[in-house]
Amino acid sequence: MADGTMTLEMIQASQVGLKAVGAGLAVGMAGIGTGVAEMGIGSAAVGAVAEDKDIFGLALLFTVIPETIVIFGLVVALLLLF
Amino acid sequence: MAEMSGGPAPYIYVGTRLRVRKSKLLPKEEYMRMLNMGLPEITRTIEEMEYKREIDELSASFSGIDLVEIALSWNLAKEFQTIIDITPGTLKEFTQAYLRRWDIQNVLTIIRGKFQGLKPGKIKEILVPAGELDRVFLDRLLLEESPDRVVEALKGKKLYPVLAKEYPAASVSKSLSHLENEMYKQFYAKLIEGANGVKGGNLFLNYIRLDIDITNIKNLFRLRVDTIEEDAREMMIPGGTFTVEELQKLNSVTDQNEFIDALMARVRVKTLLAVLDTLRGDKPIREIEIELIKVQLKQMEKMAKLNPFSIHPILVYLEKKKYEVFNLRAIARGKESKLSTDRIKGYLVM
Repeated sequence: MADGTMTLEMIQASQVGLKAVGAGLAVGMAGIGTGVAEMGIGSAAVGAVAEDKDIFGLALLFTVIPETIVIFGLVVALLLLF
Repeated sequence: MAEMSGGPAPYIYVGTRLRVRKSKLLPKEEYMRMLNMGLPEITRTIEEMEYKREIDELSASFSGIDLVEIALSWNLAKEFQTIIDITPGTLKEFTQAYLRRWDIQNVLTIIRGKFQGLKPGKIKEILVPAGELDRVFLDRLLLEESPDRVVEALKGKKLYPVLAKEYPAASVSKSLSHLENEMYKQFYAKLIEGANGVKGGNLFLNYIRLDIDITNIKNLFRLRVDTIEEDAREMMIPGGTFTVEELQKLNSVTDQNEFIDALMARVRVKTLLAVLDTLRGDKPIREIEIELIKVQLKQMEKMAKLNPFSIHPILVYLEKKKYEVFNLRAIARGKESKLSTDRIKGYLVM
């Protein structure tokens, strides 16, 4: 590549590759963000459920709310790929 | 010092658990309702709450007021021990250090009981094994024949150095007040020492300072009512906003208004300022004390909201639980002695 003889095929191939990398980053980093957000909510939810079992459903709901961020990541990834 | 791995999650967990527990404590209306009940009804009501297991367990061997009292102190002790189990890392050490207050109370109760020649069973009824010295150890202390032997048996415990130093004089005079003051002074000094330079220790120090200040102010008010001239330095605990010398000076101010002005000039806590202002004039000391306790709880609650994942939510719960048990005991005792409702109400912290 350094000698400046890149063919059209090479450029097209690397474009596809970089798209795949972008899609991977979109899902992966969104997942990490979600994980960080769920850490606090999850530990609070477990604490609350340990004291009062009736709120299990509500606690679970709150815990998965940051999951929406992954969906955004997934949408972006799908848009990139297709 | 045990460092906690796993990030903030354990702190959030404990903070939430204790906040849920705090929300389950009795509201004011419940106390008002209980004030209109008789002792058997009160027993039944608290059996329907968090105290069920203790009441069930003890109802075979006790009845009436004894049942209520012992169930309450057992529940308190159990509750405090559970909290030590669930708190992580440095918070556990802070909680344990804070609960050592009960050790002092228990040991002093045992020594007092022995001085008066009470039966071990009778003394046991009023112990609250919530501190480091557990029920088994306290039982062993109770079986010792004389107060001297009780002190001996404490060798190696954190309380022992002060006991060893002050007990001989106390055993001659049969008065434990000096010993008690010294023990609490050492307790607070140890708390401050343990909180210095530890992660999260600053927040704990804030609480300790508040506690020392309120205790000192309470003592000042008490000394004012007391007609006997006493050296205030003996009773005041160093380490708070006020130095002992300042407190001594405050104690020598004779006019109530001047005294409150002088206090207010030094206090920074807004809620406390507002309450101090209302304490002018002639109020019974009991009311003043309860007002001060309420301010302390309010201020602690504020700190717990500012630092939701620190030692503060734990301490707020511990204190509030303590006063819930005090209140229930006051209601039960008051009803047993047939006091009027208003009279009992005056003793409640709510």
